[in-house]
Amino acid sequence: MKKIFLLTFAVAALISCKSDDNQAAPGEVNLVFKNQVAGNDLILSSQTYTNASGESYRVNELKYIISDIVLIGSNGQEFVVPQSESYFVVNEADNGSKTLSIPEVEGRKYSKIRFGFGVDQSNYPLNGVNNFIPTAEETGMLWSWSAGYKFIKFEGDYDTDTSTDAPFIIHVGSHGTTLDNYKTIELDLSTDISVNDNTNNVNLIFDVARVFDAGLQSFSLQEKDDIQVDPVYAPIIASNISTAFSTE
Amino acid sequence: MIKQFYILFLIVLLSACGENEPYEDAPVAEDPLEETLEVDVALTLEIPDYFPDLTYDLSQNPPTQNGFVLGKKLFYDGRLASDGVVSCGFCHIQAFAFTHHTHITSHGVNGAIGKRNAQPLHNLAFMQEFTWDGAAGHLDAQPIIPITAEVEMNNTFNNIVTTLSQDPEYVEMFAAAFDNGQIDPDNILKALSQFMLMMVSADSKYDRFLRNDGTTLTSDETAGLGLFEAKCSSCHSGVLQTDQTYRNNGLSIDPEFNDIGRYRVTGQPSDSLKFKVPSLRNIEATFPYMHDGRIPDLEAVLDHYSDGIVDSPTLDPLLRNADGSLGIPLTEAEKAQIIAFLKTLTDDNFIFDDRFAEF
Repeated sequence: MKKIFLLTFAVAALISCKSDDNQAAPGEVNLVFKNQVAGNDLILSSQTYTNASGESYRVNELKYIISDIVLIGSNGQEFVVPQSESYFVVNEADNGSKTLSIPEVEGRKYSKIRFGFGVDQSNYPLNGVNNFIPTAEETGMLWSWSAGYKFIKFEGDYDTDTSTDAPFIIHVGSHGTTLDNYKTIELDLSTDISVNDNTNNVNLIFDVARVFDAGLQSFSLQEKDDIQVDPVYAPIIASNISTAFSTE
Repeated sequence: MIKQFYILFLIVLLSACGENEPYEDAPVAEDPLEETLEVDVALTLEIPDYFPDLTYDLSQNPPTQNGFVLGKKLFYDGRLASDGVVSCGFCHIQAFAFTHHTHITSHGVNGAIGKRNAQPLHNLAFMQEFTWDGAAGHLDAQPIIPITAEVEMNNTFNNIVTTLSQDPEYVEMFAAAFDNGQIDPDNILKALSQFMLMMVSADSKYDRFLRNDGTTLTSDETAGLGLFEAKCSSCHSGVLQTDQTYRNNGLSIDPEFNDIGRYRVTGQPSDSLKFKVPSLRNIEATFPYMHDGRIPDLEAVLDHYSDGIVDSPTLDPLLRNADGSLGIPLTEAEKAQIIAFLKTLTDDNFIFDDRFAEF
């Protein structure tokens, strides 16, 4: 009796496998982040750039949080990276941090990617998100006075008409219901990837220049060079950043 | 010299006890939760039906005995701080409804002094946001602030995980409390929450009066309740005496701290100098008062509201009177009656509850 049951089960399992279009084996997907300024790789400290307001600036530090990664199949099926393993800090100064490895991605063809910039407050601190704390601590992405995260830490110096090397500090996060700067970004992949027991790379460009100017909302550092908990400028930056990513 | 200082200190301490001692007797609490069980059991929050709805989603982190016992051990463990001494319980002392009674603002590691007075811990399962300015939106996230703040416990979660992982007792306790058995920040914070969620204070004289168990209020307490409802409850509303909003209650700015309050959290100038309206449960035991502990006793608190309001652009409109004067008009007799009522909010069964005690 038991044998028959097992046999039936095995047949059923086989049939269900066959009826599923997902026949490819799981594989690894690497998201490779490239920080650029208008098409050129970002060089920390030594390189001077010019923003949309005509100000010369240098970047000393650039870190940001990428979270809630979802790969979207050609037929709309989604592979959602388990929440507790879906929080990363991309740090320009640390090459290893710029490649986010997603293991065990379901085998199929993917044509889109969706991810969060920052930490979604509606999830926080559920689903193991608190296990991201040590990473955030090590990279200085935790505020010391608030139970939240800096979504971006962007610091450097700039020149004005009257001074050179004036520091700028941009730290943007969410602060309660009044200031929610988490952004979801969805992009078409430049070419579809087929996950099937293999490793695929997806290159993602972050255009740093767009922090200052994304066409609609621009600001100059002279206007505001210390943006931390800022109900006016932080949302502008977050919305600029939501358009700053592209696939390569 | 040192001896003299100590004696002086003792005298001050003794006289302070004499004046402020709020408790008559120490009731015996029922079934303290002390043991880690082989088979864990779920714990139930005992909540009166007149309490507000829970804000904490218990299904995300259901309290169990093993989680509670672990949370309690963590709460009282100085190794959560960088100096191995300053535990959560160092500033949140049960006898004072988990406040830091002998200090105006809280002390941290290496003699560091914070700029705020430790808040009491009770009925946290009903609060929407935490800390004086609402910088934590969830109970599971709140301890991140004191644990990592330089002037408090000055530690990192990395350090804590390493320290705890080397202690066989913790390894066992995490395994007994959580399905995945991991010693990680998520479980550390969940265990702390389980311990704190159980801190329901609902057995004050006022509660027994509300439950209609035959307890009666004295004539002063009754008059005080009426006055409180008329003059205080627009902010200190409901059975927990807080509407959980942030307000500027007319304290002068202390240049030593220059604390801008909720402005720091929201970046909105309109939130400058606003602090959370605190629950007044166990208020008798939680002196000194206000976010920076500047006011030593309840009489002085009411004097502040009647005569001490300092005007500023964000002053709460409820403290402005039609005739242009500021504050809440109160006679001395009325103040005494309000204080008589406030003392009915003291819950000795909570303050002496063995389940929450360090030893």
